Amino acid sequence: MSAVLASMDATFRERLWKKFIVFIPYLWLLLFFLTPFLIVFKISFADPVVAQPPFTPLFQNLAETSLLEIIKELGFFSGIASYIQYLSISITFDNYLYLFEDSLYVVTYINSVKLAFISTCFCLLIGYPIAYGIARSPQPTRNILLLMVVIPFWVSFLLRVYAWMGILKTKGLLNGFLLWTGIIDQPLELLYTDTAVYIGMIYSYLPFMILPLYANLERLDIRLLEAAADLGARPWRVFKDITFPLSMPGVVAGCLLVFIPAIGEYVIPALLGGADTLMIGRLLFDEFFMNRDWPVASAVAIVLLMLLVLPIVYFQKRQNQELLEQQ
Amino acid sequence: MSNDNQTTKKQPFIEIKGISKHFGDFVAVNKVDLTIFKGELFSILGASGSGKTTLLRVMAGLETPTEGSIIIDGIDMTHIPPYERPVNIMFQNYALFPHMTVFDNVAYGLKKEKMPKGEIKSKVAQMLELVKLSEYNHRKPDQLSGGQSQRVALARALIKQPKVLLLDEPMAALDKKLKQNTAFELVNIQEELGVTFIIVTHDQEEAMTLSDRIAVMEEGKFLQIGPPSEIYENPRSKFIADFVGNINMFEATILSKQASKIVVNCPTLGGQHEIDFNGSIADDIESITLAIRPEKIMINNQPPSSENTYIKGIVEDFGYFGNLSIYRVKTSDGNIIQVSKQNRYRSERIISWDDEVYLSWEPSNLLLLTE
Ligand SMILES: Nc1ncnc2c1ncn2[C@@H]1O[C@H](COP(=O)(O)OP(=O)(O)OP(=O)(O)O)[C@@H](O)[C@H]1O
Ligand SMILES: [Mg+2]
Repeated sequence: MSAVLASMDATFRERLWKKFIVFIPYLWLLLFFLTPFLIVFKISFADPVVAQPPFTPLFQNLAETSLLEIIKELGFFSGIASYIQYLSISITFDNYLYLFEDSLYVVTYINSVKLAFISTCFCLLIGYPIAYGIARSPQPTRNILLLMVVIPFWVSFLLRVYAWMGILKTKGLLNGFLLWTGIIDQPLELLYTDTAVYIGMIYSYLPFMILPLYANLERLDIRLLEAAADLGARPWRVFKDITFPLSMPGVVAGCLLVFIPAIGEYVIPALLGGADTLMIGRLLFDEFFMNRDWPVASAVAIVLLMLLVLPIVYFQKRQNQELLEQQ
Repeated sequence: MSNDNQTTKKQPFIEIKGISKHFGDFVAVNKVDLTIFKGELFSILGASGSGKTTLLRVMAGLETPTEGSIIIDGIDMTHIPPYERPVNIMFQNYALFPHMTVFDNVAYGLKKEKMPKGEIKSKVAQMLELVKLSEYNHRKPDQLSGGQSQRVALARALIKQPKVLLLDEPMAALDKKLKQNTAFELVNIQEELGVTFIIVTHDQEEAMTLSDRIAVMEEGKFLQIGPPSEIYENPRSKFIADFVGNINMFEATILSKQASKIVVNCPTLGGQHEIDFNGSIADDIESITLAIRPEKIMINNQPPSSENTYIKGIVEDFGYFGNLSIYRVKTSDGNIIQVSKQNRYRSERIISWDDEVYLSWEPSNLLLLTE
């Protein structure tokens, strides 16, 4: 009997321990994600004012005496109760309405999604063969190739984007080379165009596509490919039927890792893009620091978040449903 | 022997000529020659790492041979890619496609042939019936037991009705009963479909029960090729004799050599023996190995009544295996002889430890091994 109790105690302790371990990342998310999110969320419902901070508070105390004084006067509970009576909540949806009234915002959102989407597609198209090649190369070469993928991270991101400015500008390296070989006789206008932004985005985010894909493809069992070939599948069919479907988790991970940061990217469009390259990141920066319109900026950020989170939640749900249906 | 005569009458179907496979400096398959006949059930038997899988992979086209050539049904296949060979392989670890259902796994080969959908459906159903997995066609491979996976792999390889089916350890994951059943199933399938089977295994019992012929492989080479009975009863070397079943081997000195008879002296086995031998022995060899399988020795508490030579010994150890018992008997000169005895009666008085026993045998059961 006591043995049973002891073992129950052990499983109970284990469960508690597991809960605790799961709790830590939640706590982390709560502190560093949910709290700032709620602050931004709150600001997005405020009115802008010329003050410090530059937005109206959510709750306003009309009694014009502080909470502490009221509590001193009326005691703790009744103090708080009467204080609440004097509180007014001011919420405005103007910021959100404004986003949809001004076509600039809508166009910018669409443009950002388009830019991020096309960049993600290119990253996948370029990154997949690279990841596949690395995963299939012999061990020593593999490590060198992986190192080459990661090495750019050792140089500041900003510096690398500056380097691209040097390459792409009218009298830059690329034009110089093309003129020298005689392929063109007029320098190309690349810098400060969307093309430059695409080049910069694809270059910067390619490692984020390659690494998860590599991690996935490296685990792929070659026997499966051999079995498919043995059953009559030509190399391209083997890829379509076996390799690609089995690498889907890597593809999804890579695409999310590229798409999500790309949609809010600020530095690359700011440095490589022209004045007409509209990106949410730039808009956010302008609203916050040029216009000092924090509420609108917050609303822009919240809408962006929804734009990203809702489809992902939807897909996740559908995937779970599919899994359930299969069983 | 009759089996051998039958097969030699048939046309050679697979001809392996001087095939080698090197991995860097390492020689996995070393100049192998082999001819297999149509409809034959051929086993390759060998210890782990002897190059069986490698040879099979070369035949399937998954590995290019370093030298040599392979001819299947009269066509040189040495440089034909795997997807164009009339050969299917069942992998040692099954290699089922994890993202496809049992049905799709089995149907895969037919889909690549662009067979119409309806036909695929009926063929797959038929094949799943054969391997007794009809209710499982919607399962994914990770929801199958080891034996079920093995049967899916078999069905997947069989469904294209290849001219040659290569099976790499097809029954390693099965329990003894299922192994026997599957072995019979395999033989049935082979008779039904007329496919030529090449089965790789390191289980000598499996090889014995299944095959028309067996090749014993060691370090990338074939040591002996022949029907199971020949490999078992007339092993060419000590290694083969020991690898295929149990055997007692003792040193003997040659007393005289005649045309087809050799007289040897083996103290452990009770002195002089006259043995039929039609191999050739170099003149300067004086000692030779005399061997006898445990089941060919009779064990008794009394001296045998026949005139066969017998020796006395003490039971040092014995194991009861249900259908038979195995005794380790110590002879007067200190050697150990293994003897196995059928447990023919339920109430048999089992010979026990430290009993004095008499061992005897038919003289023709003695075997001479030179290598
Ligand atoms: N790709 C490879 N590279 C290097 N060596 C290899 C390779 N494949 C096999 N070998 C070596 O060749 C030898 C034969 O391997 P093989 O897989 O043919 O053995 P096997 O007879 O099938 O053994 P098992 O019964 O354990 O399956 C082994 O020593 C193995 O280490
Ligand atoms: Mg093997």
